[in-house]
Amino acid sequence: MGFFLVMKAELVRVFIVMRRYWFRTITGMIIGYGMLMVLVAGFIYSRPQVEQGLSKFSDPAAATNFVLGFIIGMYAFSVVGMFTQGLQGMATSGVLEQLCMSPHGLITNFLAQVLVASVSTIISSGIMVYLVSFSVGGSLHWDTLPVMVLLALTFFNLLGFGFMVGGLVLVFKQVGQVAILIRMGLFGLAVFAREELLQQPWPVRLSMHVLPVTDAAICLKHVLIKGQLNAAGEHASVFQHQSFYWLLVSCVAWTAIGMSVFKVMENWSRSKGTLGSY
Amino acid sequence: MTDPLVEMRGVRKQFVTRHVLALDEETRKRRFYKRNLVDAAMDVSFAIQPGEIFGLLGPNGAGKTTTVKMISGLVKPDAGQVFVAGMDVERKRKQILRQVGVVLEGTRTSLWPLTPLENLMYYGNLKNVRGAVLHDRAHDLLDFIGLQDKKNIQVRRLSRGQKQKLAICIALIADPRVLLLDEPTTGLDVQSSRAIKDRIIEMTHGQGRAVLVTTHDMHVAQELCDRVGIINKGRLVACKPMSELLELFSEHVFVFKLDAPAGTGPLRGLPGVLSAEEEAAGGENSLVVSLATDEAERSAGFYAVMRALEGMGRRVLAVQQRQQNLESVFLRITGQPLDADGDAGPEDPEQE
Repeated sequence: MGFFLVMKAELVRVFIVMRRYWFRTITGMIIGYGMLMVLVAGFIYSRPQVEQGLSKFSDPAAATNFVLGFIIGMYAFSVVGMFTQGLQGMATSGVLEQLCMSPHGLITNFLAQVLVASVSTIISSGIMVYLVSFSVGGSLHWDTLPVMVLLALTFFNLLGFGFMVGGLVLVFKQVGQVAILIRMGLFGLAVFAREELLQQPWPVRLSMHVLPVTDAAICLKHVLIKGQLNAAGEHASVFQHQSFYWLLVSCVAWTAIGMSVFKVMENWSRSKGTLGSY
Repeated sequence: MTDPLVEMRGVRKQFVTRHVLALDEETRKRRFYKRNLVDAAMDVSFAIQPGEIFGLLGPNGAGKTTTVKMISGLVKPDAGQVFVAGMDVERKRKQILRQVGVVLEGTRTSLWPLTPLENLMYYGNLKNVRGAVLHDRAHDLLDFIGLQDKKNIQVRRLSRGQKQKLAICIALIADPRVLLLDEPTTGLDVQSSRAIKDRIIEMTHGQGRAVLVTTHDMHVAQELCDRVGIINKGRLVACKPMSELLELFSEHVFVFKLDAPAGTGPLRGLPGVLSAEEEAAGGENSLVVSLATDEAERSAGFYAVMRALEGMGRRVLAVQQRQQNLESVFLRITGQPLDADGDAGPEDPEQE
């Protein structure tokens, strides 16, 4: 019950801020669209051999693949960012101390905040993916159930990872800077994640599976870009994809590890007297 | 006597501070890494009754904020126990947070893009208050604190005093029985400071809350508090009702206002008179006489002075007992002025 109350408060707050700063919201989306288009053009088409780039122009899936990866990367970037830079910002302003003194507990408050922020990110990202895909002549294969399941799993995967990093930030303030590198890594991984990565030697493969975004990106691309078709053009449900099983395992593992680490670090931070301050 | 709403029993807290490239005072050499232990609370014990304003007075870094944070569960004590409404803060933290409202010093607390009313609705939900109760309480609080006409203005446009008033409203939104105010009037102009002090007194005495106010401002403590604890380097060195504290350290100084100047020589040898000085201010002729602490001697000294002045042909226009102020009390207890650094503060605890 407490969680829904906090989530309602967060929803109202986000809506008010979006409405009050509507011009910034809209221009933000327009700028995002423009930047993506420039990136798509720069990344895919501006190769040394222009002809080679131009030949790729006839393959809109390449652009769509990049855009989707980019968006998933941005999503991972922002979710983990809420636990690092977001947490530091709240600590600096004093809002974190108020959250720490909320009877719902810090974990519930963060969960609600990140969930609300994620929903708004998913909606705006979804619009962006469609617009960019449409602009470059690509298309996405929308399949509601798998997409929703995958987004939920991706969210909890990143959430667990974010909780772990956030917990460390509560005690070790310098982790926030290291987390920027981690976020960049996750971002890059989401852009380049594809099934071929899983053909690497097992240590590389294992580390790819451990990272919270690889399997999520592969599964989402399998549904949205490939339309759940295998190389032979036959239907291959994402729920039978090996990355989906890895995603399930890492989701449970990261959520459990993240929450536990966060709780331990919160208590440690209270003992040190640094909880809520930066 | 009713049960206290806040009680600290033998609470200890020690912080670690780390300094990189610090100067070693013993060897006078620069060390790469230095670790210091700072006592923020040493066997601190006190209780606050319902309807009482308890002031925690001490210099910067004396351990005041740490005490507030330990009561609100933000900092865990190393030893001892903290109780709020009879519940142990360590064991029932979540239940206790429903009973406690906190305003910490120097933080923004409120969300600046929102209005005061929206802030109260937001924090109300965070503190489990909802529906019509939340709506009514938010409006009542804005009325009470004097922000009703600002309720739809973004917080970032409010003055510092108005933001502080809003912070108090936020702390009160869950109708807590205990209110912890860390330096509530610091940096405010006289008018805002006065308004906040009045509201604090009203909500404590009128509504039966227990209020803890930390301050290093003597005037705030003297005007607000029913009882005062003086904390220095983590130790609670005195804890008494305000009047008792002032009385305890009273020097029994009397000011005799006269019609004409009088010499002090004949007064100095009188029984019960410790000192006598002339004071001419604002065109008045005053004689400042310090009398003995013992009541009988003091009484004898007082009448001896009156007779001596009569003998000198002076007419006594008025006699006033000079009030002792908290500043000199603090100085006498701790041996240092209040604006000195307490050197015990956990303001910058361990940063790793």
